[in-house]
Amino acid sequence: MTVDDAASRSRIADISLADTGDERIAWVARHSPVLNALARERLADGAVSGRRVAVVVHLEAKTAYLALLLAEAGAHVVAAGSNPRSTNDAVCAALVRRGVEVHAVNGSGSGEFDGDLMAVADTAPEIVVDDGAELTTRMVRHRPDLLGGLRGVSEETTTGVARLRAMDSAGRLVFPAIAANDAACKHLFDNRYGTGQTTVQAVLALTNSTLWGAAVTVVGYGWVGRGVAQYARGLGARVTVVEVDPVKALEAHMEGYGVGSLSEVLPGSQVVVTATGGVDALPAESVALLRDGAIVANVGHDDREIDVGALRDAAASADEPRPGVERLRLADGRTISLLVGAGLVNIAGGDGHPIEIMDLSFAVQALSAHHLASHDLEPGLHPFPEKLDCAVARTKLETLGIRLDEAASTGDTIRSEWVEGEDT
Amino acid sequence: MSEILDPSLAPHGEQKIAWAADRAPVMAAMQDRLERNGDVAGRRIAVVLPIEPKTALLARILADAGAEVSVTSPPSMVHDDVAAALAGSGVEVLARRNMSPDDEQRYHGMLLDRRPEVIVDDRADLITLAHTTRTEALDDLIGATEQTTSGIEVLTRLDAEGALRVPVIAGNDARCKHLFDNRYGSGQSVITAILDRTNLLMAGATVVVVGYGWVGRGVARVAAGMGARVTVTEIDPVVALEAHHDGFDVATVLDACGTADFVITCSGAHGALVPAAIDRCPDGVVLANAAGIDDEFSVSDLAGRASTRRRVRPEIDEFVMEDGRSVFVVGGGHCVNLSAGEGHPVEIMDLSFAVQGLAAAHLARHGTEMTPGLHPLPASIDEQIARDKLASLDITIDGRGREREIR
Repeated sequence: MTVDDAASRSRIADISLADTGDERIAWVARHSPVLNALARERLADGAVSGRRVAVVVHLEAKTAYLALLLAEAGAHVVAAGSNPRSTNDAVCAALVRRGVEVHAVNGSGSGEFDGDLMAVADTAPEIVVDDGAELTTRMVRHRPDLLGGLRGVSEETTTGVARLRAMDSAGRLVFPAIAANDAACKHLFDNRYGTGQTTVQAVLALTNSTLWGAAVTVVGYGWVGRGVAQYARGLGARVTVVEVDPVKALEAHMEGYGVGSLSEVLPGSQVVVTATGGVDALPAESVALLRDGAIVANVGHDDREIDVGALRDAAASADEPRPGVERLRLADGRTISLLVGAGLVNIAGGDGHPIEIMDLSFAVQALSAHHLASHDLEPGLHPFPEKLDCAVARTKLETLGIRLDEAASTGDTIRSEWVEGEDT
Repeated sequence: MSEILDPSLAPHGEQKIAWAADRAPVMAAMQDRLERNGDVAGRRIAVVLPIEPKTALLARILADAGAEVSVTSPPSMVHDDVAAALAGSGVEVLARRNMSPDDEQRYHGMLLDRRPEVIVDDRADLITLAHTTRTEALDDLIGATEQTTSGIEVLTRLDAEGALRVPVIAGNDARCKHLFDNRYGSGQSVITAILDRTNLLMAGATVVVVGYGWVGRGVARVAAGMGARVTVTEIDPVVALEAHHDGFDVATVLDACGTADFVITCSGAHGALVPAAIDRCPDGVVLANAAGIDDEFSVSDLAGRASTRRRVRPEIDEFVMEDGRSVFVVGGGHCVNLSAGEGHPVEIMDLSFAVQGLAAAHLARHGTEMTPGLHPLPASIDEQIARDKLASLDITIDGRGREREIR
């Protein structure tokens, strides 16, 4: 697509921001060794060339770099954000100036956001790199006519994979989808270390507060919750985990965290972070339990992890003492500070995941898109191929100068062959 | 009469101060105490500190307790909205963000024109001025208290020469200051400033911490908490041995830099990170300074030897060296948590400024009975600050009497 075409079809805030966006993307490129080596090399075989690829992921510099690599490999890329709060307008401008069609403006309302996603759907994408299944869900609901041309979807998040699974159970997944989130090189690093580091950073930056000695409660002990708990502890917090799954709760206990129910734990919590990936992790009835001065944040995909409506209804007054901090004074005199309106705190209140983490995640996405382009998969949910997962890890290790031993042949024997009459 | 940028910014500044006040129980206890005992009532107090919400709270508490307070700030560290809020509440504020060095000098002079009885100083600037070109200010001056390690160094030298004419409390050396501010405050805010500005990952990265004093300890610990592999470099063998027992690798700065992803200087020593060490760093290394002094490594030397220098992100400069390696510097080589971040967390400054406020009150009440020279903060005040903080956390501890009973 020519730059003029891209500009005329796009909806962005301000093209004049493109220089700043270019700088941001250049910094990402410098710190993305796996995308630069493995992904670029695989994409160079022409499999995605000429394909219409939609990238609907938090649209900031790292996502932009993925979009550019796909475009560089010949794909017709259309990009939009998966949440209007996380869109970086400068990066959008830089993408358009390089010929990528973009539909995203920071701070758009839900109507405009829907319009942007439907505009992406209108391009009839063959491959969708999705986040939270935001585009896929809309295409299934509103544009079933386009599903015949969809070679496949590659999904970035835990929440999105759950939505695809629900779609599958309902018999609505009539196209192939790859659970990119479930790749080892994605969720083990992105969900845990990436979210852990940046959530703690965002809470501290938004509040100018500290975690030393603080009682921090993490609601949900999946990979995200594990990361948040680990990093909060690393910065000196006393961490308690709330979890409904007994096995995960036991894991949290063995890690040395306090474990308890919401009603036991909330009255003592100075900082509460929800990370369940569902909704109503902090339901309306929890408002009465929150301690005076508590800081409340969400890092799950959906803003509805916290019942913000109930919280605001309980407030006699509110103000914004710092950007992104909504201080609610409840009728009984307690003050609760809600961060970035319960949006993903590390993205809406920070710069998103570290670049090195998204290098892994987006290498998975690039190879996943490539796999969809080069294979005719059956409809339904597919895992990310294990050998591609290993290739991503191996490339990252190589860039770190880390060498591995070959798997010992005796080990293979023990695992895979039964030898009669011998002790192993 | 205040000289500030714009009085209409006051409402926003008020909100920032209120946020800090909400998280500052120790200063609240101090306010109660000062309003009851009248120690600072009617006293003229000059304050030189960065003008941001936490220092504003200190100045306002002193003013509310009846002191006549005048404040100024280093030029790069003024929040104009906070200055406006403060000026609107009975404190004389002489500061604008990025004011000229001439204005800064003039404001220092004006603070001394007010004939302060107590000085709350930062890097000993005002104390030094009163002892050199403005000695008439000493006539009314009862004493001073100093906030920083580097200011204490200046004052220790003056004291050794017998040049100090008034009692000065080494606020920095109070346990409730350096054990928390220098360690936990710097540790957190230095690491978060670097990560916030770079958007990079610390898990698995090699972080070299140059100097293992209180700042270095905090930085090493938070870096480890962020998943880094930490190597400490030290010149004091005892301190190096401590770093080893804390579980960190210990090496010479030249060896450590060979594999560094991040190098953070915390030594308080000029030129601690020598050019030869920077030349050992791998391509893409990120350098930052966490100490109060600006030349732990020389940015001008780096610039002189680099073939290209350019700004790649806000607060990050890239230096491309002759051999093609890139070296990135965060925050211009200045103290990174202030130059590229928001400084220490509120809860930490609550302790530090309680030290300063109560040191000022102690001087106002007892300064005339004290000998000229450097003094520690009385232990009873230090302990009271810790007790107030513990009480705010609902933590009770055993009394010393009980220890004796058990023995």
